[in-house]
Parts: sequence; structure tokens; C-alpha cells
Amino acid sequence: MAVNEEPKAALATASRTHTSDDAGHFQHPLYQVTLQTPGLSVGTAVFDDLMTWGLKNALWMFPMATSCCGIEFMAGAASRVDMDRMGVIIRATPRHADVMVVAGTITTKMAPRVLKLWEQMPEPKWCIAMGSCAISGDFYRNLYSVVPGIDTFLPVDVYVPGCPPNPEALMAGMIKLQEKISLQRTGKFVTPEVKPELLKITNPSVPRLNDPARRPEQNHEQELSADSPTVDEATAPLEVAAEGPAPELSPLTSPDFEGLLKELGIAELPKDGPPIIPLEQHLALARKLKSLGYRQLVTIAATHWLAGKGRKGADEAEPEHFEIAYALRTVGMGSRVAAWAVRVKAGQPVLTLSGIFAGADWQEREQYDLLGVTFAGHPDLRRLMLTENYVGHPLRREFPADAHWAPWR
Amino acid sequence: MTQKPSHRVDPHLVIEKYDPEAELMLMHFGPQHPSTHGVFRMDLFLDGEIIVKAVPHCGYLHRAVEKLCEKLAYVQITPIVDKNDYVAPMTNEQSLVMIFEAMLKLEVPRRARWIRTIFAELQRIASHLLWLGTFSLDLGGALGGGTTVFMYCFRERELILDLFEEVTGARFHYNTHTIGGNRHDLPKGWSQKVLAAMDTIAQRIPEYEAMTTQNRIFQQRTRGVGVLDGELALELGITGPILRASGIDHDLRRDAPFHAYDEVKVNVKTAEGGDCLARAEVRVEEMKESVRLVREMVGAVPEGPINSGKPVKLPVQTKIPVGQTYVGIETPRGELGGWLVADGTQFPYRLKIRPPSLHAVSALPYLLPGQTVSDAIAILGSLDPIMGEVDR
Amino acid sequence: MNDFIHGSLYGGGIIVVLLTVTAMALWFERKMAGRMHSRLGPTIVGPFGLLQPVADVVKLLQKEDITPEKADAALFNLAPPMGAIAAIAVAAVIPFSSSIVAADLEVGVLYLLAIGALGVLPVFIAGWGSNNKFAMLGGMRAIAQSVSYEVPLVLAAMVPVILSGSMKVSDIVAYQAAHHWMVTWPFFLGIPAFAIFMLAMLAEANRIPFDIPEAESELVAGITTEYTGMKFALFYVAEYVHTLVASAVGAALFLGGWDGPFAPGIWWMVAKTLVLFAFIYWTRYSLLRFRSDQLMALCWRWLVPTGVVLVAASAVWVVFAG
Repeated sequence: MAVNEEPKAALATASRTHTSDDAGHFQHPLYQVTLQTPGLSVGTAVFDDLMTWGLKNALWMFPMATSCCGIEFMAGAASRVDMDRMGVIIRATPRHADVMVVAGTITTKMAPRVLKLWEQMPEPKWCIAMGSCAISGDFYRNLYSVVPGIDTFLPVDVYVPGCPPNPEALMAGMIKLQEKISLQRTGKFVTPEVKPELLKITNPSVPRLNDPARRPEQNHEQELSADSPTVDEATAPLEVAAEGPAPELSPLTSPDFEGLLKELGIAELPKDGPPIIPLEQHLALARKLKSLGYRQLVTIAATHWLAGKGRKGADEAEPEHFEIAYALRTVGMGSRVAAWAVRVKAGQPVLTLSGIFAGADWQEREQYDLLGVTFAGHPDLRRLMLTENYVGHPLRREFPADAHWAPWR
Repeated sequence: MTQKPSHRVDPHLVIEKYDPEAELMLMHFGPQHPSTHGVFRMDLFLDGEIIVKAVPHCGYLHRAVEKLCEKLAYVQITPIVDKNDYVAPMTNEQSLVMIFEAMLKLEVPRRARWIRTIFAELQRIASHLLWLGTFSLDLGGALGGGTTVFMYCFRERELILDLFEEVTGARFHYNTHTIGGNRHDLPKGWSQKVLAAMDTIAQRIPEYEAMTTQNRIFQQRTRGVGVLDGELALELGITGPILRASGIDHDLRRDAPFHAYDEVKVNVKTAEGGDCLARAEVRVEEMKESVRLVREMVGAVPEGPINSGKPVKLPVQTKIPVGQTYVGIETPRGELGGWLVADGTQFPYRLKIRPPSLHAVSALPYLLPGQTVSDAIAILGSLDPIMGEVDR
Repeated sequence: MNDFIHGSLYGGGIIVVLLTVTAMALWFERKMAGRMHSRLGPTIVGPFGLLQPVADVVKLLQKEDITPEKADAALFNLAPPMGAIAAIAVAAVIPFSSSIVAADLEVGVLYLLAIGALGVLPVFIAGWGSNNKFAMLGGMRAIAQSVSYEVPLVLAAMVPVILSGSMKVSDIVAYQAAHHWMVTWPFFLGIPAFAIFMLAMLAEANRIPFDIPEAESELVAGITTEYTGMKFALFYVAEYVHTLVASAVGAALFLGGWDGPFAPGIWWMVAKTLVLFAFIYWTRYSLLRFRSDQLMALCWRWLVPTGVVLVAASAVWVVFAG
């Protein structure tokens, strides 16, 4: 099974992030010396109040803003909400910060970096998980590249729920954190007990690290089919209230393209997709289209067809294959799209288009990364999205979308 | 269309060939850096402060959206793609439902198309405002004049978010488009509020111009920096304001009209420079144009139904017949489209989203060599990448 | 011995006052920035948020003191106190009134320029000692910038020296009190020299539009990237002290120092300093940042030639018109 090794390493180092005392919070050496000196206890009470007041009222945030929540995080610093009112400002380097606000989805590629930045922050430090992606991974949680909640590898102090939370909610989270800080310093903060029976009742959709409630042998597909609606009975076709002719939004062919295809010997266009071009004519067609005015590269999309599957009329004998679709566009008034596809067997390379369209470079890298299609003659065929040591190609059909193979399960 | 002298940089330069004697400094720029607009990494090979080679790395926000879509029914996908381009969620939804509508051969009622157009234009203003704010932040620093522009832009962006909130109930991630129309109708008195907000924004755009595109320092920092020639931009698949700033007159709103764009006249703004300043100017001009369009359209929304299909009770009720298609629409960042492979079931067999930002970011290896580290910030910022969209 | 006691007393007093004013300047800056951004700035900590800088310092005191493993520990730890001392030491020769001055040196202006130039050394040390690429680029930029801007700074400071005929700061102020402020007459020498002086001082103090050594958007936090807690606070404070002192020097050399009607001299000096200080922050929150090569071009193409002309012109003025 394909396993990405990076999160494991991240988890291994997670245990050494705390340099706190028995009560679970960091204390400055100076503070401890004062506390242990006899006769100073009266003074330390006031001193301690002052110190706590300082900690509470000058929380500088480190923006671990990865996605949508980052925008609301920025809005929190902007004019309408203005977190500066309570002394909360943004510092760009972890060395100056007190609170790491993880705003957004954390992927397995990003998680080790988040942990490193967390370790670079000086004690005392806190962490706020902003938004449902940071809290639980949201609807991405079962997927191959997303960490299901940052509390699987970071100690989180305050959770701010929402998708995304309003900036006001982040401010409320900051106030909660202030309360927590003062309670921690006076020793009044009670760590909420995790009650196993509660876990059973609420049946949390996201299992935590080492959560006994979730066993790896439990099959997610069984779970899904158990509570999803009976699919086949409920499928009444969508009623269409179309009166006029349906709008031709983006016809994939045009007279000049069809003429070009006729030259190649393809007279009849298939109804269920772009015309399939023989592999050896693929580059020549692209060049001709470019000279015809199709100068803009639109997209390259590969599809994985398992054995026995395929376009309409595919028979059982159809072997496993890939269909790589290319789309080009003309520029200016009446812009038209021309799309064609090539078909290759698994493992068979396609000639790269990057010599003709520079943008094909990255597009082909992406398809190589996610589907494992190889492109012959590509100058730099590396993974684009996933880490170099990733095993497997996740967009292949047999790759599980929601399985429990992730290392933190 | 003019053609600037093409300066093709080799994006796959081998450092040893550049100068074996040179002691280059490798600087990892990102993934967590105040100016990378999310989580993006560039490995810069520096000769002093001059960039010799730039190797961009993306995928730090790869959320496996395409895999997720294969497991979800068609109507469930709309709220997912909101999160792709989180600066312009409205247009994301629109591009997606339009693919499904094209496959189902559904006609969208005229009122819904007008509402979609107004939403798209409002979203364009909001998106460009956010871009202008963050771009100034890149140029001016978090503790300087950049912050001032940033705060002003966010102040006006909130006006538009309020308008959206009134219709859909959400600040962003609206989920207001469904297959065949819209979910929420416009509330009473909404158009007056839109006009008031447009008046405020139209009045303030000249203020931003004075602080940015007409400011001497801003011009010095951006003129002639990161010149992208039009032909290369086309080859890379770059669309939207970046392409128009390189002198290519191409805008899907006018060239392949969707929504109600065939009923209104869209003036396409272009610039010739191809540099960061041209991109900024095009975006500011587009904001003005969007304000004009919204003002024109919001009073004239036709009456009628906002949805053509019967409301679906279960997500799995919508099935799309076997076929493949591509539909692309113009979003604030360029052409956002999707390649849908349907196999007749209620789930897409394969949905490839075509993000404009990924294509924009792929221009970096061509634009950065020969510039300084300070310019790298300006160039990356001017491409307006949204990492949720680049990585998906 | 008398001089020593006088110097220590006044020096100590000035340092205490300066640091207090700096703390308030931090508050003032955040408040002013807030108003410019159409927001409020600190309001919750203390009345009008006045205690915000105190809370910041109390918090920074408690932060963990990290010296990165790969950093040059000696240099890394030397830089912050050095920076603070260099910034504060300049204040020694500034006459806050006709009598309040810590050390009224005969070569006051020379001392001012020399110690002011020392401020770049800790910045470079910090950049080098941090063993961080962002910090090092920041340090490199800082040294290029400061060394360049030293030249127009000296040239601009020469103008009041030549006009008044003394290098003692209190003499220059006394000359202005007796005759006229440098910026009023001869204004065609005084105003350009004042402008160049303030620009160069801004560049020395690394303020926007010249803050490229710590350009947050490019170099994360520049030279202070690796510093935590009090070490960062020292840099932070040094920056503000430097700006404040630069304003005071500008006020003393060009705006007549403690000279003014109706009120005691000290009030005039403080008022002029604060006006200049506010002006610097006004500029800071209005302008974007230069690129380093543009900064150098501005210095060598415009400021240095103008400075040379100004010095020559003031000599001519003294001989023929003075």
C-alpha cells in the first residue's frame, strides 16, 4: 500500500516539543528562582500577576495561514475587526511570536514544516486551530494527502470552529486563550478529562491519534454503505425544464479542426468525448493547430480506465489504459476550443508537448504525479504536487480515496 | 497586438553550465513566508542578490480535491470547489455547475444568468481588491505604507462580502449555485445596497490609484520588472489579467460569452507593458469596469424563475449521461474550467479542474532569472496566485 | 570630577526619559497607524491602550532566550546590546535646553556622526552571526546602505557647522537662537540640507522607505529573524531610540533646538522632536519601499552631488554674505 513516510517522521519528533513543568506549562527560570527564594512569596504574588498580565495582553501571532481561513485571519487584522485593539499583532518570524494560528488545511507535505516552525517558537507558546480543516481535516480528512486535524501532531490550546470562522470568532478565540493563560498561571486550569463513554455517544467522525474507538480493521466502505441512502432506488432522472435550445457553452470542435481531423483520416467524431488521435500523429496535430491559431494551451487531462471499462461500447476485453485529453484555444473574438485525446496502455509513454507549448511542462508533470502517465522527452519529469518519496499515483481508479492506510490512523 | 522581443529563459538551467566557479547561494523561499500568498516554495539560486535560477515547488496545499470529487455526487461537489479559489468562490461554483449544465443540456433561466453575472462581477471587484491589498503589502512591508493600502482594500472588500452575506448567509463559501440555476433569490432592497456600495468603491478607486499605480515608488518597483511576452504567456496557458497585461486582447466574457455577458457590452482592458505595473493597471481598470457593469445590471435584473430543474431531494438523484466535455469561464484570475468525464452514474468518473493560478505560477522560472530577491516578491505577487487553486 | 558627576546625572536622566518616551512612542506609532488605517489601534490594555508597550516588554522579558545551534553565539549575543548602546549614546551631545546636556563636546557633531555610524555594526554582526540567509542578506543590505548614506549625512551636517562656525552642538543652537534658524535663512541652503539630513538619518535608522535591511515581506524579519525575547526587544527599542534621537538631532541642528518664544527651551526642543518623529511615522505609513539598487541610485546620483554643492555654497555664503 502506498504510504507517505513524512508524517511518520513528523510524529516521531512531536513528542519532544514540550519543555514544560509538571503542571503542563512552561515557566521562565527567573520565575522559578523567585518562587523558590524564601520570604519572597508575598512579592512574587504581585510579580506573578504582572507577568501573567503581560503574557496575556501581548499575544503576537505567527500566521500559519495556508488556505481559506488565512483570508479571514487577514480580515481579523484589518480595519473592521482590528485585533490590534487587544494588542494582538502579526509577526512574520516564529522567533517573535507567542501564538501559532494554524488557519487552513495542513497537508502531509506541509505538516513537517509546521512542526519545525512550532519548534522554532520560543516558550511560552500557544497554538490556535482555526477552522474545521485545522481542527479535523474537514471533508478532506480521509484523503491521501491531508492531515486529519493538527492536534494529531501539535498541542492545540484553543479550537475556533467554522468554515471559515468569522474574524470575530478568531478574536473570541484569542479571548478564550487569554482566559486559559491566566487560569494556567494560577493553577486553576483544569484539563478536561476525556471520557471514553462520551466518545462513544458522540461518535466523532475524526479519530484522534491512538484513539481506541477507531480500529484500523474497520472498513470505511462498509460504514459508508451502511448509512448512505439506498442509491439505486432513489435515482429519478432530473426533470429538465428546458424550453429553448440548450446553450452551446463550449463546443469542443470547430470546422477548421474537423477539417484537420479529416486529413488525418478521422471523418466521424465520437459522441462521448474528443476524437482519439493515433499516438504518432499527436505532435504533428498540435503543431498544425498552433499554426491555425490555436495558440493557447488550455489543459491536459488524463483519465485512468480500468480493464473492462472505457468509453461507450467498450467491451470486457478492453485492457487497462489511459486516455490523455488535450485542449487548445484560439485567442480573441469567438474563441474556440479544440480538444483531442490519445490512448496509451499502462506504462506506455506519450510524446511530450512541452516543446510546442511551454505550459505543457507543468501540466504533464501533474498528470505524471497523480496518474503515473509518463511523457517521453519531457525535460524535467518530477512529481509536482506530492513529495518525491511518495509511493503510488493517487488519481488512479484503484487507489483508495478514503481508506485507513494513513500512518496516523 | 505587439510582440515584445522574446527573452526565453531556460527554466531547466543546469547550474554547473551557468558558471562552475560561481558560489551560488540557495535560498529556500517558503513554504511559509509572509509574501508567498499561502504555502508556496521557490528555491532561488542567488548570485549576490541576483536570481540565476528559480525552481518553484507547489503542492503544499494539495488537498486531493479531484479525488474527493470522484467520491461525491454531482450536487455535493459545488461546496467543495468553493475552497479551491478561496478569494473568488462565486466564480468557482459557477464554472463547476456550468460544466454539469452543459453535460445535462440544461438551460438556465434568464434571471439566474443575470444574478450569476452580477455575482461574478462583484466577486471580481472583491478579488482584485484583495489582490491590490496583498500586493501592496508585498511591496511596502507589513509595517509600512503597504499596510495602509491593505487595510483600505479590506475595508471596501467587506462591503461586498456584506452584500453576499445578505443573499447567501455566508461571508464566503456560499454554495449558492445549483445545477440549473441559483439557490437564493435576491432579497428586497438589495439592489439599492449594491448601488450604494458601488458608489463608495467607485469613489475610492482613485485613492488606491494615487497610492499605488500612480505612486513614484510603486512605479519604480514594478516598471520593467518581470516582463512576460504575450506569445510565451499563451503557450503557458496564462489567462485573465496577466495575459491582457501582456498585450493580448482575450477575455472569455466577450469572446465566448457565458451567463448574461452576451446581453451587456464588456470593455476589455489591456496593457502593453507585460510587466508588474501593467498587471496592476489592468486589474485596477477591470475593477472600474466591473463597477460599471454591476451598476448597469443590478437595476435591470429580469423577472422569472431562478432555477430550471426540479429541486433534488437526494444528492444522488442527479445523474449525468456518458460523455466528456470541457467548459471554461472567465474568473478574476483567468480561465477556470473543468474537464469532466462522466460514466452515466451519479458520481463523476474524472474531474480535472483547470486552475488559472497553476498556469500563472508556471511562468515563474521564466520571469525570475536576472531579477533581484525584492523583484521576486513583486513578480510572484503580480501573478496573483491562490494556492488552494494551484494545488487543489 | 565635576564633569563626571554632571555627565552621569544628566546622562542617566536622559536615558531614563528617552526610554520612557520610546515606550510611549511605540504606543503613539500604533495609535497613529491605526487612525491612518481607519481602525482604532490598542484600546483595551490600559486607558486608551497606553499600557500596551509595557505589556509587550513584560511579555518579551519572559520569552525563552534562544541562541540557534549553528549561530556564532558570541557575535549573536553581542549585537543587541551593542545596537541599543549605539542608539542611546548619540543622545549624550544633544542639548535639550540651554543647560540640559549630558556632555557638551567641542566636537559634538563629529561625535554624533561617528557614534551614529556605529549603529550599522551591530546590524551587520547580527546578520552574520545569526547564520540565517535572510538575516545575512539583511545585514549585507544594511552595510551597503549605511555606508552610502553616511556620505550625504556628513555633507548635510556640514552646512550648519560651516554657517555657525562651530562643531559644538550647543553653539550651533545658540547661533540659531541669536540669528535665525537654519531652515529660515539662508533657506536655499538650510531646507535642502535639512531634507538630505533627514533622509539620510531615516536610511541610517532603517525606516521606511529605507527599511530594506529588515524588509518583512522579503526577508521575513531581516536581521532580527533569529532573535527572541529581550534580544529582539533591544533591537526593537534601539530602532525607536534611533529614530527619536535622529529627530532630536534634526531639531537641534536645523530647527533651532531649544529656541522659541513664550515657553522654556526644553518644551520647544521636545515639541520639535516629536513633530519630526510624527512626520517620520506619517511617511512610514504612506510610502512603499525602495529596492536596494534604487536606494543606492538615489544616494549617489542625487543626495551626494547636492550635498557637495550645498557645502561649497555655504562656504561661499559665509565668506561673502555672512
